[in-house]
Amino acid sequence: MNRRELLKSTALLGGAALFGTVFPGATFAQETPKKGGTLLWGHSETTQSLDMHVTGSASTLRLLENIHCPIVTVDKSFNVIPMLAESFEESPDGLTYTFKLRKDVKFHNGKTLDSADVKYSFDRVRDPKTGAVNFEVFKDVTSIETPDANTVIVKLGRVNAPFLSRLAENGAGVIMPADSGEGQANMPVGAGPFKFVRREFGHEVELVRFDDYFEGPAYLDKVISREITEPTVRLTGLRTGELHMINDIPADRVAEVEGIDTLQTLKWFPLNFDFVNFNHDYEPFKDARVRQAFDLMIDKEQLLQGALWDQGKLTASPSFPTSSSYDAALQQRPQDMDKAMALLAEAGYGPGKLKLVFKTTTNYPYHVESAQIMAEWFRAAGVEMTIEQLTWADWLSQVWVNRDFQISMMNFFTLWEPDFLYYSLWNSTGAFNYRNIKDAEIDKLTQEARGTVDPAARAELYKKVQQRIFDQTLDVILWFRNGTIGAQKSVGGLDTIVHPNGSNLNFHKVWLNS
Amino acid sequence: MKRFLTPQGVVGFSLIFAIAAIGILAPLLVPRDYATRMKMAARLKPPSLEFWFGTDQLGRDLFFRVLLGAHTSLGIAAAAVGISIVIGLPLGIISGYVRGRTDNVLMRLVDTLLSFPALLLALTISAMLGPSIPNTIIAIGIAFTPFLARIIRGEALRVSAMPYVEAARAAGTGDVAMIIRHILPNVIPLVIVQGTISLAFAILAEAGLSFLGLGTQPPNSSWGLMIQASRDYLDVAPWTALAPGAAVALTVLALNMSGDVLRDVLDPRVRS
Amino acid sequence: MTYVLNRLLSIVLTLWLISVITFAVTSILPGDVAMMILGTQSNPTALAGLREQLGLNDSLVVQYGRWIGGMLTGDFGHSLVFKEPISQLMAQKMKASALIVVMSMAIALVCAVPLGVWAAVHRRRWQDSVSSSAALLGISLPDFFWGIMMILLFARTLGWFPSSGFTDPSVDFVGALRHAFLPSLALGLGLMAHLTRVTRSTMTGILNQEFIRVARAKGLAERTVVWSYGLRNAVGPIMTVAGLQIGYLFGSIIVVETLFNYTGMGWITYQALLNRDVPLIQTSVFFIAAVVMLTNFVVDLLYLLVDPRIRTE
Repeated sequence: MNRRELLKSTALLGGAALFGTVFPGATFAQETPKKGGTLLWGHSETTQSLDMHVTGSASTLRLLENIHCPIVTVDKSFNVIPMLAESFEESPDGLTYTFKLRKDVKFHNGKTLDSADVKYSFDRVRDPKTGAVNFEVFKDVTSIETPDANTVIVKLGRVNAPFLSRLAENGAGVIMPADSGEGQANMPVGAGPFKFVRREFGHEVELVRFDDYFEGPAYLDKVISREITEPTVRLTGLRTGELHMINDIPADRVAEVEGIDTLQTLKWFPLNFDFVNFNHDYEPFKDARVRQAFDLMIDKEQLLQGALWDQGKLTASPSFPTSSSYDAALQQRPQDMDKAMALLAEAGYGPGKLKLVFKTTTNYPYHVESAQIMAEWFRAAGVEMTIEQLTWADWLSQVWVNRDFQISMMNFFTLWEPDFLYYSLWNSTGAFNYRNIKDAEIDKLTQEARGTVDPAARAELYKKVQQRIFDQTLDVILWFRNGTIGAQKSVGGLDTIVHPNGSNLNFHKVWLNS
Repeated sequence: MKRFLTPQGVVGFSLIFAIAAIGILAPLLVPRDYATRMKMAARLKPPSLEFWFGTDQLGRDLFFRVLLGAHTSLGIAAAAVGISIVIGLPLGIISGYVRGRTDNVLMRLVDTLLSFPALLLALTISAMLGPSIPNTIIAIGIAFTPFLARIIRGEALRVSAMPYVEAARAAGTGDVAMIIRHILPNVIPLVIVQGTISLAFAILAEAGLSFLGLGTQPPNSSWGLMIQASRDYLDVAPWTALAPGAAVALTVLALNMSGDVLRDVLDPRVRS
Repeated sequence: MTYVLNRLLSIVLTLWLISVITFAVTSILPGDVAMMILGTQSNPTALAGLREQLGLNDSLVVQYGRWIGGMLTGDFGHSLVFKEPISQLMAQKMKASALIVVMSMAIALVCAVPLGVWAAVHRRRWQDSVSSSAALLGISLPDFFWGIMMILLFARTLGWFPSSGFTDPSVDFVGALRHAFLPSLALGLGLMAHLTRVTRSTMTGILNQEFIRVARAKGLAERTVVWSYGLRNAVGPIMTVAGLQIGYLFGSIIVVETLFNYTGMGWITYQALLNRDVPLIQTSVFFIAAVVMLTNFVVDLLYLLVDPRIRTE
């Protein structure tokens, strides 16, 4: 029933971390920004719980980006930089973090930011009862002190190398006014450039400019996000001028939209990565040979072309492509039906012996297409496979929560913070390990990386993790998908919209010309 | 016999036989993978000599998909109507024949069920059971039952009041014999008429359910599912919707035409 | 009067039955509300606590009693997904759907009646064939197929109407009509086809009757005979069929509203089903059934006014 609550810890499903590179060629008019106007945005997905500490859904974070601010954030190269804290300091032993807060930050409720709000927010995320996606970020924290109104000192019991950068990601470091937690899910109050006005669930969200935003007020009066999950409907809305912009142009239509004079497009890479998941508790998939056989059946290039119209790039490494832990040397297995069938036979699953159900969600229509394409290859290798198209709520409850599936497919936004990525997804205790993966070596490596301060050494550890994922075929990593936005020519500042921190879109510096 | 053979009847019946033959024979004659195999090089191709109905977004031949889709769509519709007859016929006959309190209770129930739009009922049941072909059949079948029961009850009531039935009753014919010998044969024509019309509605209902994702599941092809899949490609490849749409239209049209003729000939209410 | 009273009594009974059926059907929905709410935070203690809090441990009879008791006092509970009082949601969405139901009915009647009469007057000639074939075609395609075609034609190609969305009539009346137009047209086409067929057959029957021949014999203009004498007698049957179609319309709005992102009863019912929002499913299904039933009752009453003979039956 409750998709929103279900999503509490489904961080990152779907969505996007932009930023890598905005494709060259797209030129944006360098005009003087204009004030005023209401921007109508055709949003590709439905927003869930509006509590940014709790929600994990990419679509919701994409919107909340405009309402909330984290204590620190990242620049385009993923260096941690100040935000609500004007400065931060890490002690040489890596056990103490001192944050100096800005004094000019106002919340939407009129209150001025002080250290109590920070302590409140950190404590809230830490408290398992809150159900925050990122609660384990604070796992090693022993105390949070507030010596004065503008200083926060966080002490750790042991080194946690990714601590600071995790604060910059996905709501973990978002500061909410003290004691505002209760109402956040329905009426978010933050310090961001836009104030939340109302939401009609599954339909529309209205934001209005916050004039006291500490980095200066936004240009737009209002942003209205219409949640239109149907790709063609969204595109039609843009083409008829009902919408100013849409995110996620249907993959097969990007070229067409680029050819329309009245529209501009923004493309970036990567938006998210996709992978095929095996349930490691399902008898046949306990055998690494079987998992590898399925990897060998998939012609990744064909699949990318078939399901995504080539709007992406193949990869065997799920690390953010520009990050130091990305392993370009890791190559996907090419399709090899004979070898796949031989491996299956070896494992005792000759032709006709294996019957599978592929659970996929209609929330990502290209996953349904992918499943259909893969079904053909699997059949050619003697595996009969049927497909169940599940609604998002059903997919979450069956696959994510109950882990009742055999084979499935999902996307995650490309997490630039490798601890978040590898620990959450592949550690046996990870928050996103819905595949029942239990690999002692990965557990060891991911834990070791947490205590490794030297960035180069950490990156090496994560490369080992990737190698292990690949060797054992724990999942089949497919590709990074491109992100796209289509907008009317009247929308200015489009090149500022995509935020480095994830899939988020920020309207602070966007304006309307007419 | 002649009365069936109005121009409308001839067209309607021959179409139905042809479509039914396709539905039954297609899976035997066309290898299953004809409808599922993909050619990435030939995606969204318009109709041509090579692909008579064009291809869909995965380069699958729409001609074969429509043919095999007939099997799924007609099969679901026929089975669903079958279910509604199996439940609705005895209910209607008992209600109309026994009358009195049984009739009151049953018909009150049926009337109440009729307040639920059939598609809403089918959708709710399908959401409950989970999407699959058998569940789609059950959902549509149950949703159509009240309507059929209502109509059969009316006819059973009318037949029971006929002088010769009264006479048979007076002669001491047992209830079971009475129903089998007198009521049932008189009700059958109406069942044929309503069954034909219900088939048309069942095909539309299957399409609606599949369109909402609660009917047939891919890679099986049903007409409704094909129309659903075509939505994203409509303005670049309208044939992806037109091929299955035309198949639905033609079938429903044929059923409605035949239904009209059957009604004129068989329905005692129209006949008299 | 007794007739009306009896009907009122039976309405109360039927409403009660509707509530029982709705409750029974939705109570056996798979999945546990508590688990859906807790999601990944499910653990035995939390689940047990929430079940207790939601009253899921009570017997079905008690749960039903609570639901019906709440409805009688105007408390429909809260939607799990929308987080709003269901009564408020129902009021909003019913208003939205009423707009397209009424509009589609109007479109259907305005087109169907002249078409049907035209066909009946020219029975067995080309006009009849044209109108009957068009009508047959109209009922042979699913509403959503018409909807898709209309988006293509009127929104995409011509740009006359918006392709999706809903505007509150009390905020922007013209905008509301523009948003409601395409969904109404998609719904109205099938209905129109159906009503054309009914009008044709009813009018055919009437035009063969004695009083029409008498009227003609009296030298009245054919136009007067058909439109005034004939049609007046066809109003009752046409209205009855139209009223019965309200049920059909409320089924079709689920597909059509979803297609057009038109946030009315059909849309919210589908959302509730997708999200397993049981309280909302129960109430919206109940409301739709109740509206259908009440509409039929009103149609019956109107029929009574038009044709008092039924009173003696």
